[in-house]
Parts: sequence; structure tokens; C-alpha cells
Amino acid sequence: MMKLQRIVLLLLIGLLISGCSSWGVKPWERDLLAADKMQLISEPVEMGLDDHIYFSKEGSSGGRSFGGGGCGCN
Amino acid sequence: MSNDLDKKSLPLGTTLAALGCALLQGLPNQAQAGELENWDVDAAVLVYSESDSRVQAAEPVISATRNFDSETQLNLKLVLDTLTGASPNGALPSNQPQTFTRPSGKGSYTTDAGELPLDDTFRDTRVAASADWSAPINRDWTYSVGGHFSSEHDYLSTGTNASLSRYLNQKNTTLTLAGGLSLDSISPEGGLPVGLSSMAVPGSGSFNSDFAASRSGSEDDKLVTDLLFGVTQVINRRTLMQFNYSLNRADGYLNDPYKVVSVLDQPGGTTQGYRYEQRPDSRIKQALFGQVKYQLGSGDVADLSYRYQFDDWGLNSHTLEFKYRWDLGRHYLEPQLRWYTQSAVDFYQPYALTSQVNGGLDEVTADYRLGDFDAWTLGVRYGYQVTEGQEAYTRLSLYQQTTDDFSSSTTPASGDDLPDTTAVMWILGYKF
Amino acid sequence: MSWQGSLFLARFDAMASPCEILLALPREQQSLAEKLARIAAEEVWRIEATYSRYRPDNFFARLHQQAGQWQEVDAETTRLLDFADQAWQLSGGLFDITSGILRRVWSFDGSDRLPDPDAVAALLPRIGWDQVGWESRTDSLGGRLFLPSGMELDLGGLGKEYAADRALGLALQALQAALGSAQSASLPGLLVNLGGDLAANAPPSEQAPWRVGIESTAVENQAASLLELTRGGLATSGDSRRYLVCDGKRYGHLLNPKTGWPLQKAPRSVTVSAPTCVQSGLVASLALLQGEAAETFLKQTGLAYWLAA
Repeated sequence: MMKLQRIVLLLLIGLLISGCSSWGVKPWERDLLAADKMQLISEPVEMGLDDHIYFSKEGSSGGRSFGGGGCGCN
Repeated sequence: MSNDLDKKSLPLGTTLAALGCALLQGLPNQAQAGELENWDVDAAVLVYSESDSRVQAAEPVISATRNFDSETQLNLKLVLDTLTGASPNGALPSNQPQTFTRPSGKGSYTTDAGELPLDDTFRDTRVAASADWSAPINRDWTYSVGGHFSSEHDYLSTGTNASLSRYLNQKNTTLTLAGGLSLDSISPEGGLPVGLSSMAVPGSGSFNSDFAASRSGSEDDKLVTDLLFGVTQVINRRTLMQFNYSLNRADGYLNDPYKVVSVLDQPGGTTQGYRYEQRPDSRIKQALFGQVKYQLGSGDVADLSYRYQFDDWGLNSHTLEFKYRWDLGRHYLEPQLRWYTQSAVDFYQPYALTSQVNGGLDEVTADYRLGDFDAWTLGVRYGYQVTEGQEAYTRLSLYQQTTDDFSSSTTPASGDDLPDTTAVMWILGYKF
Repeated sequence: MSWQGSLFLARFDAMASPCEILLALPREQQSLAEKLARIAAEEVWRIEATYSRYRPDNFFARLHQQAGQWQEVDAETTRLLDFADQAWQLSGGLFDITSGILRRVWSFDGSDRLPDPDAVAALLPRIGWDQVGWESRTDSLGGRLFLPSGMELDLGGLGKEYAADRALGLALQALQAALGSAQSASLPGLLVNLGGDLAANAPPSEQAPWRVGIESTAVENQAASLLELTRGGLATSGDSRRYLVCDGKRYGHLLNPKTGWPLQKAPRSVTVSAPTCVQSGLVASLALLQGEAAETFLKQTGLAYWLAA
């Protein structure tokens, strides 16, 4: 476990060194971004349900994607 | 990229996965084959419950995604939505009991003195289905197309959408242009109310002719067009940002056929009757949206988003949302916080005065959803990785809308007389 | 090329190992099978010819002739060096492609001949990826390398795995083109076996996985070392027959590039199955480098593995 933590630490240090120079990552640095939890809409089902509620209870909708709509919604 | 390694929470595993991808650039990646043969399904049910026996809803949803390769994807989604309970009809509480004609014209319901008038006839089932397909055109371009269909007994919506994305700067920047078109038809129970016409008084001798005079036709429609331009930027290995500008235009029948406006002789005075609401027949909304996602060293993910929306009805809103996903090995806990505030549309009034309706009022709504209010949502999501590729999750949230006093020289009202909404939302879902 | 009752088998030699390509194609598609096997084998030979350190006249030799000065390298080498660079960082400097030079003093032949500690120490200044200048271009299509004089690169630690993945990838590409299908999920199963380093896209049939006899002694005490693989890669790091014994102490063949001496308490070999062969090989190497924590490390990755202690 200790070694593993060291590996993680090394990864972090590598990031700090390379991270600030410019925006963007190289193709092999997409490991963290590739995770489902890092998608901009990581839980589309939950978002769909929320959009539907807010669409029917508030005067605004959408913005993120074409959220909500398509209902009479009382 | 999605493959077996990606699903591990271990940073090392995910790094290795990305490494392998870069090294074998351009080749059909055999590692994905295992993933490709399956549908990824997310099935959930939402239970929504407003306090004071207002709207209760149960909404099961099933979403299935099939990945044909890392960028080609088909998503099918089916939603069922059953609704019961009562909803504010727009009228103001009164010191006298109030009796309203049901939207169908058959029968009436009465609200006690001092109570917020609620129409209790809502009982509806909605079925909605959508399909979306996205695929690359070449190395730098991708597109998506989709369609949706949604049906209730008094509402039908069909629409399509499409988007085109361009990758720049080694896929670190993505520009997206998207458009949508939706054609909705509304066929309210009892026919379409004539805007600003008087609600027929139940039990009156002229009820039948009055009711007929308040109705015109049985069906109308609206056309909704959406346009969105977005920029997604990878900042570094842990940070991702998005900015969107969107334009939404609705043309056609935009009234809520079940909403009325109390007519008072003077502020704080006696209720003289009710008029059906009347909104403009077009609305243009614009929104600016920004989002930042950041992954911490621990694997936790912070997600902050903000939306500013404004429209030609005079409604401005701000939405701020923050989520923090706290990784605990196979479990995660995600507190969620949302704050929303909106200003009223120009033609919103908590009630109308007799002098106004006689003096050529042409647009009015007392629908609290177009009034001034603030809302908070406080929630927490919990997920458990059952096996690789399977997750059980649940979310509990509390939604609270509070309405302020309506200050106006003509129709002032105390926030106490306007509807507040408190609701509990509970989601239970399983991904496999 | 021979028909094995349910699939085609092609054999060839490359990278000092017996190699096989198995193709689960119907018998009447022999000419397609032959074409694919030839594409795969030629890719393995190409990689061997380009990166072998035993050839005096290849790309790799020219790379070393230009030691002591900055030189441009091509896209493929860039990807390999980027990969090696990341592996070096991930392993805290233990996975180091400049450490091959230690073979000049160590030979693991089961004897008791330990090298002269001074000779080992004398090589250490010539080891260390951090001494190598490496800048890959932002588009990853090339890079600049500065190899200090006296240092050597050795891609032997990942060359065979890389070749297995490439061979499979190119064969699959050709198969897709031949079948006119973009749906890789429905392609028939192919397996490339380069002396125990495997890469497969899909099983030979719905019911059965690939069953492969592994010549390495990775899985000691298991009958014939028969491993099953459905898809993805499989690679072994370590070799339980290569060691030295001196004064009752066993010296495994895995050398620590920082000391020049074998890592202590490492398993004799580790076999890992990851989505690709290159990933399998890297995880196996990283596991070995964890020493006695190898098994804990492997469990963390969640991948299938076999250990020989």
C-alpha cells in the first residue's frame, strides 16, 4: 500500500510540474477525465429527472443541454 | 475510452488504460470488444411528493446505451410519469370559501376560507420515449441526432435534435453547435379557455352558455426551437470546463389552460370572479451556462455550475449548483446543493383588479411559476459499486420554494398569500 | 497455415520465440486467414527489425550512433518513449529502459557467479531515464531525444507485448476492411501469441475461451501451464528459471536500476491479463517491482493474475 501511495504521489507531482504551463492534456493523460464520474453530465438519468421537475416548477429551463420540456407539466 | 481498467477507482489502473490507448493509436482496440457486446442500462424510479397533499408523482425511467465503439453510441430512454394530487390554480386565498368550475366544465371544487385554492383534478400519466445516436464523422468531427416523443391525455410532444462537434487542440477543446425542434399540441380537458374570459360560476343559471363562451376550440399547438453553442475545454488532467450559450424560442399556445387569475375590486378587497390567464404567443429565452468539474487527488469530484437565463417576458434567473462526490472505495456519497432565484415576468400579477380587466388588460398570469421566488434544493446521493459495471444508487433531496411579498403600486400582495412549494424527491436506481 | 478442426493456425518465429496466430474463420476462408496471418507476422518482424538491439544496422542502432546529440524520432518511437516515460514515472524510477546495460555484468544462469560489486557500481552512472533528454511534440507525432553517450535504450521490456497488440490490431483492421463491417463486436476471434505474450479480440466461439499453453514457467505446478483467455491481453514478467544462488541466498533476475542489484523478495514471475497485451506487460512488471507487495498491488488493479513465488 505504501508503494501504491507513493506512485499516486508521483503522479500528482508530475501533474503539478506539467499542469500550469498550458491548457490541455496529452492523449495518455486522459485517464482521470475518462472516468464516468468526470463526464460533464455524469448521471444523465438523474439529470433528466431533475430537469423534468424543475421545468414543471420554475420559469427557466435548459442551458446545459436541451433539458426538460415536452410535457404539459402542471 | 471505456474499458475494464477504467472502472477501477484506482488511479494507477486508469492511468494504465490511458497509456495503452495512446500507444496503440488508431488501431481497433480489442480491449473494448468486451464492453461492446452489452447494453449499459440505468433503471431508476423517482418519487416526488409535495407537502400539503399537493402533487405526488412516481416516475420510473429506463435508459439503455449501446456503445458500438469508443465514440459511436446509441441511447434509448423510456420514461413513465404518473401524477396525482392538487396544484395551485392561480387564484388568491380569500376570507370566504371559493368555488371553482372544474376545467372539464363538469362539476366544481371548493376551497375553504383562508386556504390556497388548489385544483385537485390532476391525475395524469405521461409516457415519453427518446432515441439518440452519436458517431464520429472523421478524426475531428462528430455528430449526433435524436428524437423524442411524449404523450399525456392532454399534451403531445414530438421533436428532433441534432448536433455537430469539432475537436481542436488534440481534443482538448470541443466546439458544439446543436439545434432542436419540437412540435407540441395541447388539447386541454374541456377545451381551450379563451384568455382573459371569465370562469363560469358553478350553479348559476347561465352556466352552460357562460362556460361555452369561455371556450374556443379544443386543440392548439406550439413550436419550440432550440439553438445551442458550446465550448468544452480540458484544462488539465483533473479539470474540465464548459460554457454554453443557448437560445430557445417558443411560438404558439403558451398559456397554461388550467390557470386562472382572481379579480379583486381593490388590493386586499373582495374577490369578484376569476379570469383565465393570457400569455403572449411567443417567448425567446437566452441562457449562459458554465460548468467546472475538478477531480481531487483523493478521487473526489467537485462539480460547480451556474446558469443565467433571461427572456423577453422579463424573467431573469440565476441557478447555482454544487455537487461534491466523495469517493469511499466501493461507495460514494455526493452532497448536492442548488440555489435558484427568478424575477417575475412583466405580466405577472398575484391577482387583477376589476378596473384593470375592464380597462383593456391584454396579458396576465398569476401562475406562481412565473412570479418572483427563490428555491433551494438540498440533497445527497449515495452509490454502491455492487460488482464491476453494476451500481446501486439512491438520492434523497428536499426542494423548497419561497415567495416574497409582491410589491407593486397597483396589485401588492403578501408573500403569505402566494404559494410556496416544499417537496421531497427520492430516486432509487440500478446500473448494469 | 493449418486447419485445426475449428480454426486456422499459423506458426512463425520472431523475437527469439515461437509465435502463433489463431484465426476462428470458417474453413472456406483460408485465403483470408492466410492474408491476415501474413499481415500480423510481417508487423511483428517489422517491429523486431526496427527495435531489436541485436542488429547493427537498424533504426535502433542508428539511434545509439547519434548518442550525445539531440535527434528527431518518428511518431511510433515517440509513442513508445512516451509510454516508457510514463511507466518510469509510475514506478518511481524502477521501470527504466536504460537499465538493460546491467546485463553486461549479470548473467542469470542458475550458477553462483555474482558480479563484482565495483563492476556493477561502475555501470550505475550510465543508467537512469532522468538523464535522457526527451521532449515529445504536443501532437505526439514526433519528438526530440538526447541520449547521453555511453547510455543504451532497451525496449525489450515492452517490445514483444507491443508487437502482439500491433499484430492483432492490423489484422483486425484488415479483417474489418475485408468484411466491410465497422462493428468490431461481431468480428470473428483472432489470437496472437508471441512466445506467451497474447492478444485476442474475441473468443473463438460463444461457448469457449482461447486455451493457450504457455511455455514460460509463470504458472508453476499447473499442468502444462494451460491458460484460458476470452479477450484482451496476457503477458508475463519474470522468469522463475533465471536466478543465481550464492551462500544460500537466491538472487532473482529482476534488477533495481537504482542499485544495480536484484530486487529482494519479488515473486519469480507474474502473469497478468489486462485489456491489451502492453497493459498486461506493464502491470506485470510494475507488480514485480513492488517486491513482496506484488500480490497486494495486483489485487488493487482488479485484473486477473497468476503468481509464481
